[in-house]
Amino acid sequence: MDEGILRMKGLVLTLAALAALSGCQSSQPKPEDMARTSLQTAPADLQLLCAHAVAGAAQVDSAKVLPTSSRALDAASYSVDLDAAGRKFTCVVDTAGSVKSVTPAG
Amino acid sequence: MTKTADDSRLDAKARPAFTRRGLGAGILAAALCLGPLAALAQTQIYDARTKKWVNYDKKKARQYFARNNQLPEAFRRQVVTFRTAEKPGTIIIDGNQHFLYLVQPGGQAIRYGIGVGREGFGWAGIVRVGRTAEWPTWTPPAEMVARDPNAAKWAAGMPGGPDNPLGARALYLYEGDQDTIYRIHGTVEPWTIGLDVSSGCIRMNNDDVIDLHSRIEIGAKVIVLMQGAALYKGV
Repeated sequence: MDEGILRMKGLVLTLAALAALSGCQSSQPKPEDMARTSLQTAPADLQLLCAHAVAGAAQVDSAKVLPTSSRALDAASYSVDLDAAGRKFTCVVDTAGSVKSVTPAG
Repeated sequence: MTKTADDSRLDAKARPAFTRRGLGAGILAAALCLGPLAALAQTQIYDARTKKWVNYDKKKARQYFARNNQLPEAFRRQVVTFRTAEKPGTIIIDGNQHFLYLVQPGGQAIRYGIGVGREGFGWAGIVRVGRTAEWPTWTPPAEMVARDPNAAKWAAGMPGGPDNPLGARALYLYEGDQDTIYRIHGTVEPWTIGLDVSSGCIRMNNDDVIDLHSRIEIGAKVIVLMQGAALYKGV
Protein backbone atom coordinates (compact mmCIF):
# COMPACT_ATOMS: atom_id res chain seq x y z
CA MET A 1 0.00 0.00 0.00
CA ASP A 2 2.75 2.41 1.00
CA GLU A 3 4.65 1.40 -2.09
CA GLY A 4 1.59 2.18 -4.21
CA ILE A 5 1.27 5.63 -2.68
CA LEU A 6 4.93 6.30 -3.27
CA ARG A 7 4.59 5.26 -6.91
CA MET A 8 1.58 7.54 -7.27
CA LYS A 9 3.50 10.44 -5.73
CA GLY A 10 6.38 9.76 -8.08
CA LEU A 11 4.05 9.80 -11.04
CA VAL A 12 2.51 13.08 -9.94
CA LEU A 13 5.93 14.65 -9.47
CA THR A 14 7.03 13.42 -12.87
CA LEU A 15 3.94 14.85 -14.53
CA ALA A 16 4.42 18.15 -12.69
CA ALA A 17 8.02 18.32 -13.85
CA LEU A 18 6.98 17.59 -17.43
CA ALA A 19 4.29 20.25 -17.24
CA ALA A 20 6.81 22.78 -15.95
CA LEU A 21 9.22 21.87 -18.70
CA SER A 22 6.57 22.21 -21.37
CA GLY A 23 5.71 25.61 -19.92
CA CYS A 24 9.31 26.68 -20.27
CA GLN A 25 9.30 25.53 -23.86
CA SER A 26 6.06 27.23 -24.86
CA SER A 27 6.05 29.02 -28.19
CA GLN A 28 5.13 32.36 -26.69
CA PRO A 29 6.37 35.07 -29.04
CA LYS A 30 8.72 37.82 -27.95
CA PRO A 31 6.91 41.02 -26.91
CA GLU A 32 7.85 42.79 -30.13
CA ASP A 33 6.35 39.90 -32.09
CA MET A 34 3.04 39.84 -30.28
CA ALA A 35 1.08 41.28 -33.19
CA ARG A 36 0.23 39.84 -36.58
CA THR A 37 -2.49 39.84 -39.20
CA SER A 38 -4.40 37.02 -40.76
CA LEU A 39 -2.37 37.72 -43.90
CA GLN A 40 0.84 35.90 -43.01
CA THR A 41 3.08 37.74 -45.43
CA ALA A 42 6.87 37.57 -45.55
CA PRO A 43 8.70 40.05 -43.34
CA ALA A 44 9.34 43.32 -45.18
CA ASP A 45 13.12 42.92 -45.19
CA LEU A 46 12.87 39.50 -46.81
CA GLN A 47 10.50 40.85 -49.47
CA LEU A 48 12.98 43.60 -50.27
CA LEU A 49 15.90 41.17 -50.40
CA CYS A 50 13.93 39.38 -53.09
CA ALA A 51 13.30 42.69 -54.88
CA HIS A 52 17.03 43.36 -54.89
CA ALA A 53 17.74 39.89 -56.27
CA VAL A 54 15.10 40.26 -58.99
CA ALA A 55 16.47 43.67 -60.01
CA GLY A 56 19.81 42.02 -60.61
CA ALA A 57 18.43 38.98 -62.39
CA ALA A 58 16.07 40.99 -64.59
CA GLN A 59 18.54 43.83 -65.18
CA VAL A 60 15.89 46.28 -64.06
CA ASP A 61 16.32 49.43 -62.00
CA SER A 62 15.54 48.45 -58.41
CA ALA A 63 13.20 51.45 -58.20
CA LYS A 64 10.95 49.58 -60.62
CA VAL A 65 10.77 46.30 -58.69
CA LEU A 66 8.03 45.90 -56.13
CA PRO A 67 6.89 42.85 -54.13
CA THR A 68 3.17 42.36 -54.71
CA SER A 69 2.39 39.32 -52.54
CA SER A 70 4.09 36.71 -50.40
CA ARG A 71 3.37 33.60 -48.41
CA ALA A 72 5.11 31.17 -46.09
CA LEU A 73 6.24 27.97 -47.79
CA ASP A 74 7.25 26.33 -44.51
CA ALA A 75 8.67 27.36 -41.16
CA ALA A 76 11.92 28.50 -42.76
CA SER A 77 11.13 30.02 -46.14
CA TYR A 78 8.82 32.33 -48.04
CA SER A 79 7.74 32.73 -51.63
CA VAL A 80 7.50 36.33 -52.85
CA ASP A 81 5.80 37.48 -56.06
CA LEU A 82 7.25 40.59 -57.64
CA ASP A 83 6.60 43.00 -60.47
CA ALA A 84 9.74 44.20 -62.23
CA ALA A 85 8.74 46.96 -64.64
CA GLY A 86 5.76 44.86 -65.73
CA ARG A 87 7.53 41.49 -65.75
CA LYS A 88 6.45 39.03 -63.09
CA PHE A 89 8.88 37.02 -61.00
CA THR A 90 8.72 34.62 -58.09
CA CYS A 91 11.47 34.52 -55.49
CA VAL A 92 12.10 32.09 -52.66
CA VAL A 93 13.93 33.41 -49.62
CA ASP A 94 14.67 31.78 -46.30
CA THR A 95 14.26 33.30 -42.88
CA ALA A 96 18.02 33.83 -42.64
CA GLY A 97 17.79 36.23 -45.56
CA SER A 98 19.29 33.96 -48.18
CA VAL A 99 17.61 34.17 -51.60
CA LYS A 100 17.21 30.60 -52.82
CA SER A 101 15.75 31.18 -56.27
CA VAL A 102 14.44 33.79 -58.67
CA THR A 103 12.27 32.59 -61.53
CA PRO A 104 10.03 34.28 -64.09
CA ALA A 105 6.42 33.70 -63.13
CA GLY A 106 4.12 31.68 -65.39
CA MET B 1 -2.30 77.88 -45.50
CA THR B 2 -0.66 74.49 -45.65
CA LYS B 3 -2.41 72.21 -48.05
CA THR B 4 -3.12 68.68 -46.91
CA ALA B 5 -4.47 65.49 -48.41
CA ASP B 6 -7.87 66.94 -47.92
CA ASP B 7 -7.47 69.78 -50.36
CA SER B 8 -5.06 68.25 -52.82
CA ARG B 9 -5.88 67.78 -56.45
CA LEU B 10 -7.16 64.45 -57.69
CA ASP B 11 -4.72 62.39 -59.69
CA ALA B 12 -6.95 61.16 -62.49
CA LYS B 13 -5.01 57.92 -62.72
CA ALA B 14 -5.00 57.32 -59.04
CA ARG B 15 -8.18 55.34 -58.55
CA PRO B 16 -10.82 54.49 -61.12
CA ALA B 17 -13.64 55.01 -58.64
CA PHE B 18 -12.54 58.59 -58.18
CA THR B 19 -12.12 59.65 -61.77
CA ARG B 20 -15.17 61.86 -62.08
CA ARG B 21 -13.97 65.41 -62.11
CA GLY B 22 -17.15 66.55 -60.43
CA LEU B 23 -16.24 64.78 -57.28
CA GLY B 24 -13.22 67.01 -56.94
CA ALA B 25 -11.13 67.63 -53.96
CA GLY B 26 -13.98 67.38 -51.49
CA ILE B 27 -14.80 63.75 -52.10
CA LEU B 28 -11.13 63.05 -52.45
CA ALA B 29 -10.52 64.39 -49.02
CA ALA B 30 -13.30 62.31 -47.57
CA ALA B 31 -11.87 59.28 -49.28
CA LEU B 32 -8.31 59.88 -48.26
CA CYS B 33 -6.83 59.59 -44.84
CA LEU B 34 -9.83 60.16 -42.64
CA GLY B 35 -12.23 57.48 -43.78
CA PRO B 36 -14.33 55.26 -41.52
CA LEU B 37 -13.02 52.07 -40.02
CA ALA B 38 -13.30 48.69 -41.68
CA ALA B 39 -11.26 45.51 -41.57
CA LEU B 40 -9.07 44.25 -44.40
CA ALA B 41 -6.84 41.62 -42.87
CA GLN B 42 -7.68 40.93 -39.28
CA THR B 43 -5.08 42.19 -36.85
CA GLN B 44 -4.35 39.85 -33.96
CA ILE B 45 -2.37 40.34 -30.77
CA TYR B 46 -1.01 37.66 -28.45
CA ASP B 47 -2.72 37.49 -25.08
CA ALA B 48 0.04 36.38 -22.73
CA ARG B 49 -2.52 35.57 -20.05
CA THR B 50 -4.50 33.07 -22.11
CA LYS B 51 -1.56 32.27 -24.39
CA LYS B 52 -3.76 32.69 -27.41
CA TRP B 53 -3.88 34.99 -30.41
CA VAL B 54 -6.95 37.18 -30.24
CA ASN B 55 -8.53 39.46 -32.81
CA TYR B 56 -7.69 43.12 -32.35
CA ASP B 57 -10.42 45.30 -33.77
CA LYS B 58 -11.41 48.91 -33.20
CA LYS B 59 -13.37 48.14 -30.06
CA LYS B 60 -10.63 46.04 -28.48
CA ALA B 61 -7.98 48.53 -29.52
CA ARG B 62 -9.86 51.33 -27.83
CA GLN B 63 -10.34 49.25 -24.69
CA TYR B 64 -6.67 48.30 -24.63
CA PHE B 65 -5.58 51.91 -24.99
CA ALA B 66 -7.99 53.11 -22.33
CA ARG B 67 -6.73 50.44 -19.94
CA ASN B 68 -3.01 50.82 -20.61
CA ASN B 69 -2.69 54.34 -22.02
CA GLN B 70 -0.39 52.93 -24.64
CA LEU B 71 -0.37 50.59 -27.60
CA PRO B 72 0.40 46.87 -27.48
CA GLU B 73 4.17 46.47 -27.29
CA ALA B 74 4.53 45.27 -30.86
CA PHE B 75 3.20 48.58 -32.16
CA ARG B 76 5.47 50.73 -30.01
CA ARG B 77 8.60 52.37 -31.43
CA GLN B 78 11.61 50.07 -31.23
CA VAL B 79 14.86 49.17 -32.96
CA VAL B 80 14.75 45.86 -34.82
CA THR B 81 17.02 43.81 -37.05
CA PHE B 82 16.37 44.67 -40.69
CA ARG B 83 18.42 43.07 -43.47
CA THR B 84 18.28 45.29 -46.53
CA ALA B 85 20.25 46.77 -49.37
CA GLU B 86 18.28 50.00 -49.01
CA LYS B 87 20.32 52.87 -47.68
CA PRO B 88 19.83 54.36 -44.20
CA GLY B 89 17.09 56.94 -44.20
CA THR B 90 14.82 54.90 -46.46
CA ILE B 91 11.27 54.44 -45.19
CA ILE B 92 9.69 51.03 -45.71
CA ILE B 93 6.03 50.56 -44.95
CA ASP B 94 4.63 47.07 -44.40
CA GLY B 95 0.95 47.85 -44.76
CA ASN B 96 -0.16 44.30 -44.12
CA GLN B 97 1.62 44.00 -40.78
CA HIS B 98 1.09 47.66 -39.78
CA PHE B 99 4.74 48.58 -39.40
CA LEU B 100 6.81 51.46 -40.74
CA TYR B 101 10.57 50.92 -40.80
CA LEU B 102 13.18 53.66 -40.99
CA VAL B 103 16.38 52.00 -42.18
CA GLN B 104 19.39 52.56 -39.94
CA PRO B 105 23.04 51.65 -40.42
CA GLY B 106 24.26 48.23 -39.34
CA GLY B 107 21.37 46.07 -40.44
CA GLN B 108 18.86 47.73 -38.19
CA ALA B 109 15.73 49.82 -38.49
CA ILE B 110 13.50 51.84 -36.22
CA ARG B 111 10.08 50.21 -36.34
CA TYR B 112 6.90 52.18 -35.69
CA GLY B 113 3.29 50.98 -35.53
CA ILE B 114 0.97 52.45 -38.13
CA GLY B 115 -2.65 52.50 -39.24
CA VAL B 116 -3.25 51.98 -42.97
CA GLY B 117 -5.94 52.05 -45.63
CA ARG B 118 -9.07 50.07 -45.13
CA GLU B 119 -10.32 47.55 -47.67
CA GLY B 120 -10.13 48.88 -51.20
CA PHE B 121 -7.99 51.83 -50.19
CA GLY B 122 -4.66 50.14 -49.68
CA TRP B 123 -1.92 51.05 -52.09
CA ALA B 124 1.65 50.08 -52.81
CA GLY B 125 4.54 51.61 -54.63
CA ILE B 126 7.82 53.45 -54.47
CA VAL B 127 7.53 57.16 -53.78
CA ARG B 128 9.48 59.83 -51.91
CA VAL B 129 9.00 62.44 -49.24
CA GLY B 130 8.32 65.61 -51.24
CA ARG B 131 7.82 67.96 -48.33
CA THR B 132 6.81 67.97 -44.69
CA ALA B 133 4.77 70.15 -42.36
CA GLU B 134 4.61 70.66 -38.62
CA TRP B 135 1.09 70.78 -37.19
CA PRO B 136 -0.45 70.78 -40.68
CA THR B 137 -3.69 72.53 -41.49
CA TRP B 138 -6.65 70.28 -42.29
CA THR B 139 -9.26 71.51 -44.71
CA PRO B 140 -12.47 69.44 -44.66
CA PRO B 141 -13.91 68.59 -48.05
CA ALA B 142 -17.00 70.42 -49.30
CA GLU B 143 -19.06 67.25 -48.99
CA MET B 144 -18.11 66.89 -45.34
CA VAL B 145 -18.74 70.57 -44.70
CA ALA B 146 -22.23 70.18 -46.15
CA ARG B 147 -23.25 67.31 -43.90
CA ASP B 148 -21.26 67.88 -40.73
CA PRO B 149 -21.71 71.11 -38.76
CA ASN B 150 -18.56 70.37 -36.81
CA ALA B 151 -16.59 70.25 -40.05
CA ALA B 152 -18.39 73.29 -41.46
CA LYS B 153 -16.74 75.63 -39.03
CA TRP B 154 -13.40 74.56 -40.44
CA ALA B 155 -14.38 75.01 -44.09
CA ALA B 156 -11.57 77.49 -44.56
CA GLY B 157 -9.07 75.18 -42.89
CA MET B 158 -8.55 73.87 -39.38
CA PRO B 159 -5.30 75.20 -37.94
CA GLY B 160 -2.79 72.67 -36.80
CA GLY B 161 -3.08 71.63 -33.17
CA PRO B 162 -3.81 68.76 -30.85
CA ASP B 163 -7.37 68.33 -32.17
CA ASN B 164 -6.41 68.42 -35.84
CA PRO B 165 -7.03 65.02 -37.48
CA LEU B 166 -3.69 65.15 -39.26
CA GLY B 167 -1.87 65.31 -35.97
CA ALA B 168 1.53 66.76 -35.21
CA ARG B 169 3.39 66.25 -38.47
CA ALA B 170 2.71 65.36 -42.10
CA LEU B 171 5.10 63.88 -44.63
CA TYR B 172 3.77 64.49 -48.15
CA LEU B 173 4.48 61.63 -50.53
CA TYR B 174 5.44 62.48 -54.09
CA GLU B 175 5.83 60.44 -57.24
CA GLY B 176 8.58 62.30 -59.04
CA ASP B 177 7.49 65.91 -58.71
CA GLN B 178 3.81 65.03 -58.46
CA ASP B 179 2.01 65.03 -55.15
CA THR B 180 0.41 61.60 -54.74
CA ILE B 181 -2.11 63.09 -52.29
CA TYR B 182 -1.07 60.40 -49.81
CA ARG B 183 0.63 61.34 -46.58
CA ILE B 184 2.24 59.90 -43.52
CA HIS B 185 0.69 61.88 -40.68
CA GLY B 186 -0.16 61.88 -37.00
CA THR B 187 -3.54 61.22 -35.49
CA VAL B 188 -5.89 62.21 -32.71
CA GLU B 189 -6.95 58.55 -32.43
CA PRO B 190 -3.80 56.76 -31.29
CA TRP B 191 -5.67 53.55 -30.55
CA THR B 192 -6.21 53.06 -34.30
CA ILE B 193 -2.56 52.14 -34.80
CA GLY B 194 -2.41 48.51 -35.91
CA LEU B 195 -5.70 48.68 -37.78
CA ASP B 196 -6.92 49.19 -41.34
CA VAL B 197 -8.49 52.54 -40.72
CA SER B 198 -7.74 55.16 -43.31
CA SER B 199 -8.45 55.65 -46.95
CA GLY B 200 -4.88 55.49 -48.03
CA CYS B 201 -2.82 57.67 -45.73
CA ILE B 202 -0.38 56.18 -43.25
CA ARG B 203 -1.18 57.28 -39.71
CA MET B 204 1.13 57.16 -36.73
CA ASN B 205 0.72 58.32 -33.17
CA ASN B 206 1.94 61.86 -32.70
CA ASP B 207 5.08 61.05 -30.71
CA ASP B 208 6.16 58.64 -33.42
CA VAL B 209 5.47 60.94 -36.36
CA ILE B 210 7.39 63.71 -34.58
CA ASP B 211 10.29 61.30 -34.10
CA LEU B 212 10.16 60.14 -37.72
CA HIS B 213 9.92 63.71 -38.99
CA SER B 214 13.02 64.65 -37.01
CA ARG B 215 15.02 61.84 -38.59
CA ILE B 216 14.14 61.95 -42.28
CA GLU B 217 15.31 64.13 -45.12
CA ILE B 218 13.26 65.61 -47.92
CA GLY B 219 13.59 63.26 -50.87
CA ALA B 220 13.79 60.14 -48.73
CA LYS B 221 12.73 57.02 -50.61
CA VAL B 222 9.49 55.45 -49.37
CA ILE B 223 8.66 51.85 -50.30
CA VAL B 224 5.08 50.84 -49.57
CA LEU B 225 4.39 47.09 -49.45
CA MET B 226 0.75 46.10 -49.43
CA GLN B 227 -0.50 42.73 -50.59
CA GLY B 228 -3.85 43.09 -52.32
CA ALA B 229 -3.31 46.78 -52.96
CA ALA B 230 -5.89 48.52 -55.11
CA LEU B 231 -3.37 50.93 -56.54
CA TYR B 232 0.32 51.07 -57.43
CA LYS B 233 2.32 54.30 -57.47
CA GLY B 234 5.72 55.05 -58.88
CA VAL B 235 6.55 51.63 -60.37
